[in-house]
Amino acid sequence: MLARNKAAGLAQAAGGGGPRLRSPLRRLFVKGTSDGQTESGLKRAHFKEWRLPFWLLAPQLFILLLFFFIPSIRALIQAFQLTDPFGATTQWVGFQNFERLFRSNVYWSSAQVTLIFTIAQNVLTLSLALLLAFASNHILRGRGAYRTVLLLPYAIAPAIAGIMLAFLFNPRVGPVAHMLQGMGLDWDPNRNSWHALALVVMAASWKHICYNYIFLVAALMSVPQSILESAYLDGAGPIQRFLRISLPMIAPTLFFLIVINFVYGLFETFAIVDATTRGGPAGATSILVYKVYQDGFVTLDLGSSAAQSVVLMALALLLTFAQFRFVERRVNYSV
Amino acid sequence: MRPFYGALAGAGALLLTGISAVQAATEIELWHAMSGALGERVDEVVKKFNDSQKDYVVKSIAKGTYDEVLNGTIAAYRAKRQPEIVQSNERSFLTMVNSGAIVPTNELMAEQGMPLDTSKFIAPVVSYFAINGKLQAMPFNSSTPILFYNRDHFKAAGFDKPAATWQELEPQLDAIKAKGVSKCAMVLPGDYEWSFLENYSAVNDIPYATKRNGMDGLDTSFVFNKGKLVGQVERMKRLVSSGVMQLAGQGIIPIQLFTSGECSTIIASTASHAAVVAAAKFDWSAREIPYEQGVTPKNSVIGGAALWTLKGHTPEKYKAVAAFYDFLAKTDTQVWWHQATGYVPVTTAAYDAAKAQGYYEKNPTREIAVVQLMRGTPSDNSLGFRIGNSNQINVAIMEEVSAAFLGRKPVQQALDDAVSRGNEALRRYEQLNAGKK
Repeated sequence: MLARNKAAGLAQAAGGGGPRLRSPLRRLFVKGTSDGQTESGLKRAHFKEWRLPFWLLAPQLFILLLFFFIPSIRALIQAFQLTDPFGATTQWVGFQNFERLFRSNVYWSSAQVTLIFTIAQNVLTLSLALLLAFASNHILRGRGAYRTVLLLPYAIAPAIAGIMLAFLFNPRVGPVAHMLQGMGLDWDPNRNSWHALALVVMAASWKHICYNYIFLVAALMSVPQSILESAYLDGAGPIQRFLRISLPMIAPTLFFLIVINFVYGLFETFAIVDATTRGGPAGATSILVYKVYQDGFVTLDLGSSAAQSVVLMALALLLTFAQFRFVERRVNYSV
Repeated sequence: MRPFYGALAGAGALLLTGISAVQAATEIELWHAMSGALGERVDEVVKKFNDSQKDYVVKSIAKGTYDEVLNGTIAAYRAKRQPEIVQSNERSFLTMVNSGAIVPTNELMAEQGMPLDTSKFIAPVVSYFAINGKLQAMPFNSSTPILFYNRDHFKAAGFDKPAATWQELEPQLDAIKAKGVSKCAMVLPGDYEWSFLENYSAVNDIPYATKRNGMDGLDTSFVFNKGKLVGQVERMKRLVSSGVMQLAGQGIIPIQLFTSGECSTIIASTASHAAVVAAAKFDWSAREIPYEQGVTPKNSVIGGAALWTLKGHTPEKYKAVAAFYDFLAKTDTQVWWHQATGYVPVTTAAYDAAKAQGYYEKNPTREIAVVQLMRGTPSDNSLGFRIGNSNQINVAIMEEVSAAFLGRKPVQQALDDAVSRGNEALRRYEQLNAGKK
């Protein structure tokens, strides 16, 4: 649905109404030359022959082959093997790696940590970004400056963000930790798993708020001014206007961000965890993707690591499927 | 990468040995894991070798941590672009030996007519890196944990120096905190599995794993969940939860908390001398690691790393490798290395030479590690450790023990879980390497 709407939108932007490709390439794309097609956009476009589309797709396919298909297939094979790190000895062990994984308490606790982490990170990121976007939309003077400052963290490498927070919150030398301790909280992420988890959530969110913020600011700006003005005339306050008008209208963006945040939390926070806590203490922040890295590259348990990445990949597929199949229907895109 | 390093090395060689030597010199690569001051020492020792003769040029390349070097080596080996020499820590001994990717050092040296006499090396080093008296790797940087302490703090708390046994040391540490001398009486090292568990069991002569800690075969299993080691972890937990012992945390290297004067003691590798000498602005000293009351302490075991020769190179390159190893084993080189880094000399001749120079009278803390390593006759429990899948097991043990620190499970259960996870990994290693060492 999204794809179709987008395509329609594109087509409308390009020509408004009839078939939409204006480029000289158009004849190659569209079957026949009649303008009488009812469906619009690329979706219904047909290629007359295979060569052009092949070459157009080739670079992308090549990259996918090199960096996705070959590694995925190798991971899949490795998941059923027990192997020496140097590759000297390899044994086919069937589902042994998976059995070991699903019997392991450590793996389940890692899954649990991942669940808490992704949800907490999502809620924190989205709500703070929303608050900031709302606030900066209501500031008249220096709006640009605020936006720039708010976007800065995005330019910082995750590892640096992580290590910076690790320092600030270090119970012995960190100024923020000393402040917390001064307030009577026995802050110590090295000895308290919840503190460690909170630290990782903070680091991951801080890094990702900007990303959410960009989208939300753009979405808020696209809310028709006329509606807001008429609500204003009817006596609605800024918060009411935000909750009753802006928020429903930016729902598609919110939904998109929720999915992106989950993907981010599940798959892209490895560097942050590595820099902030290294998965510790006692595996308290060892989220699934970090465990894949640790088991594969630190402890050289290649079979288990491969099995874990296969599980993660299945999870990603499931998430994508669920997104399009169930959730997206409930979101209204016709702004 | 290669052409770049090639160019770099070419330029380096020009600078170092002059144009005439370049055409003839055989170049070999050494990948190592030493950073900071220690990394500079590696470059220096390599330069000494390059300057000492004209036929060979060694290039030292820092590749990150031990784990990263090992990973890089595996990737390079699988891509058939491996360096000639790679530094790998003592823990990965079995991984390297059974990798099928190495040339045993004794074979290499014998082929080149420069046999290494293992009787010249100090016993704990040989027992770690040799199988049946045959060196598999070239011992390079060997260390053992010792107890560094802040003398000012001990004086302020009314003590002369740290006690020799845990039973007496623990109240001292408590007192340092209680009297407000420092908020951090001891900082836990990052590699405490080595210094507090493995070395603890060696020094107190208690079994860690069956089959002489794995020396007698792959069918070994862990037994450290019984007896004194449980008490040791109980004590660590007590110290951690009372805040007497602090955990440095990510981004902070534990030794920095000692050298900054924040923490009063640390049990750390003797190689930490380099950092302590450079940074500590207070009166410090060191002594042997503590042991249990009533025990006659045995020798501690080594840590650090050795140099491994990888397969797949030309005879000419192996000549260069052998010449380099021969240079490293020389007494002068060893004495210099020992004094510049804090690592122990790996040959008895080097130890004797340093002693004859009067070095230990001026630097008494430098001798502690050597004395501790050579103390008593090694027993089955203090010979060393030969554990397969050791990286996996190491991580599992640390995870379980820190779960006990966090109060997530009782100490006994944490150790039981560590043993069962460890044994599972041992069995997997046995399954894969059946019939090997």
